[in-house]
Amino acid sequence: MFLFKLAFLNIGRNPRRSIITVLAVGVGLAALIFLWGFSDGTNEQMRENVIRLLTGHIQIHALDFQKTLSPELTVPDRSAILEKIKSLPHVQAVTERAKCEALIGTSEKSRGVLLTGIDPTREIQVTDLKNHMKEGEFLSQTDSRKVIIGDRLAEKIQLHVGDKAVVMTQAMDGTLSGYAYEVKGIFHTGSQPIDEVSAYITLRSAQELLGLDDATHEIVVRLTGRKAIPLFLSQMKAVITSDQYEILTWNQIIPEVEQWVQWSEAIIRTILLAVMVVIGVSIMNTVLMSVFERTRELGVMMAIGTTPGQVIRLILLETFILELFGIALGLVAGYLVTFYFGQVGIGFPELERAFSRSYMSTITYTRVEPFHVVQSIITLFIMTSFIGLYPAWKAGRMEPIKAIYRP
Amino acid sequence: MPIVQVKNVTKIFREDSQAVSALSSVSVEIKEGAFVALSGPSGSGKTTLLNLIGCLDRPTEGSIHLDGEEISQLSQGKLAQLRLKKIGFIFQDYNLIPAFTAIENIEYVLWLQGISPSERRKRAIEICERFSIQKLIDRRPYEMSRGQQQRVAVARAIVHKPRVVLGDELTANLDHKTGIELMQFLKELNQKENITFLYATHDPVMIQQANRVITLQDGKITNEKAAFSKTI
Repeated sequence: MFLFKLAFLNIGRNPRRSIITVLAVGVGLAALIFLWGFSDGTNEQMRENVIRLLTGHIQIHALDFQKTLSPELTVPDRSAILEKIKSLPHVQAVTERAKCEALIGTSEKSRGVLLTGIDPTREIQVTDLKNHMKEGEFLSQTDSRKVIIGDRLAEKIQLHVGDKAVVMTQAMDGTLSGYAYEVKGIFHTGSQPIDEVSAYITLRSAQELLGLDDATHEIVVRLTGRKAIPLFLSQMKAVITSDQYEILTWNQIIPEVEQWVQWSEAIIRTILLAVMVVIGVSIMNTVLMSVFERTRELGVMMAIGTTPGQVIRLILLETFILELFGIALGLVAGYLVTFYFGQVGIGFPELERAFSRSYMSTITYTRVEPFHVVQSIITLFIMTSFIGLYPAWKAGRMEPIKAIYRP
Repeated sequence: MPIVQVKNVTKIFREDSQAVSALSSVSVEIKEGAFVALSGPSGSGKTTLLNLIGCLDRPTEGSIHLDGEEISQLSQGKLAQLRLKKIGFIFQDYNLIPAFTAIENIEYVLWLQGISPSERRKRAIEICERFSIQKLIDRRPYEMSRGQQQRVAVARAIVHKPRVVLGDELTANLDHKTGIELMQFLKELNQKENITFLYATHDPVMIQQANRVITLQDGKITNEKAAFSKTI
């Protein structure tokens, strides 16, 4: 307690220097918390964008369908599977799709697309494509020979709402199948992979085009959240014992997102390391200066019986106290700033084209992820304490005689 | 048995690859309860000898026994323990811990000895009363005069009841009157509590206060005498 009091008093002896050090730690930590908040917010939005716009949480196909998109690979025994899925906990909604690679175009231009047949009523419970209509309307249950396309695709093949587009693909029996569809709506999700190469027709129209009767290629499941995925998968293993199916999670379908997340987190960890070193050196500099200034005083303390170990503990305590104040400041400031931008968002409208390639949104809502906050604090504390060992060790190794008579 | 026994001690300092002999084959014994002055001109080796006896430095050659224990080869940690238990230091510049108040400076040594907070405070207050510095207990060093700081430094040096108190030019920064008062006060302590005092000085007035005077010159004891006819 006496040593703690002395450490505390020593810190107060040069308030300006102590405040600068506390600010360095605080601002550094706040910046790290904000950086993590920005990254976590961006990553979370990317994941949710993919899930809400494209994949749902889980997709069930016939084996190898995801890889080949072969029209004949329909979901075996789909009705029974559907019923079982609906009975599982954490399932919010389920829909079915038919899917194929197709050519869409006018008499002048055409493009390859991923054509998806959706059940409009059930689809809007699983994805929110309907909320992204830019022109025209979303598909309805009764629509026949109507298509909605992304705005980038529409721009490339110069299609407008009300225009006719021809869609051609290979049917289930291997023949070439095609119909003319009226463009009912144009959507804009902000994601290039969707806006440029996706076209949607009703499930019934797709079944007609592909000759599927009432078969489908894909069962899409929306759960209460991503945390429910492991439980759902384990339950599904009990439901589907046959090896005729593939059960894919959203990140197996679009692995690029998690790869991006890992990459961005690696960058942040590198920045984190650099910031830690800067903060650590700042603390070391402060404590080292303080030790040099007090060389004679520390020498006297040793002369009257303070052991080298006690001197080391005193200097480490001073370091810890500075760190703790800095961490408290950084935690509060970092949390407040991150929370604020989590409410109002940070807009990057001019970067839409760049962001759209990776399912990113142009407005990022920062997010306080406790794990990353705790990780930053612990890393900062360990790193700065480790660096702070040097001045403490140096003080402990002082010979009292040299310290007392230092000029 | 003498409380301090110095046998053939030589101390050589190395400065810029040159060897400088500070003490050369010095031998001296000091009995318990002595009040000894180390005199001699600057650079004669007074402070070096004090530092060696005070476990702050190690001799190049020879041996030093403090209260029967050979100290010349002990580790820094052991030396710190020995200083804490058996030695009190009074420095020329008082060297109080600036962050602490007067009473905290005194208590600090007791804390190092592991004495409980209530006992620490009791003993510190007692000694402050004896030294008539009870009004200063909450003052920090910069709020006290030199004489007051020196009294606090003396209180710190003896509060843990050391066997030997060492002082280096302890009146050099005090005016003549305060210096005399301090020496008389230390002498009183020496007589009442049988604490051994050894102090370095080149002030003739302070030398006169001692029971025994050891004179050093060029690292050697040149003269030793009892200043008065008292037992040493």
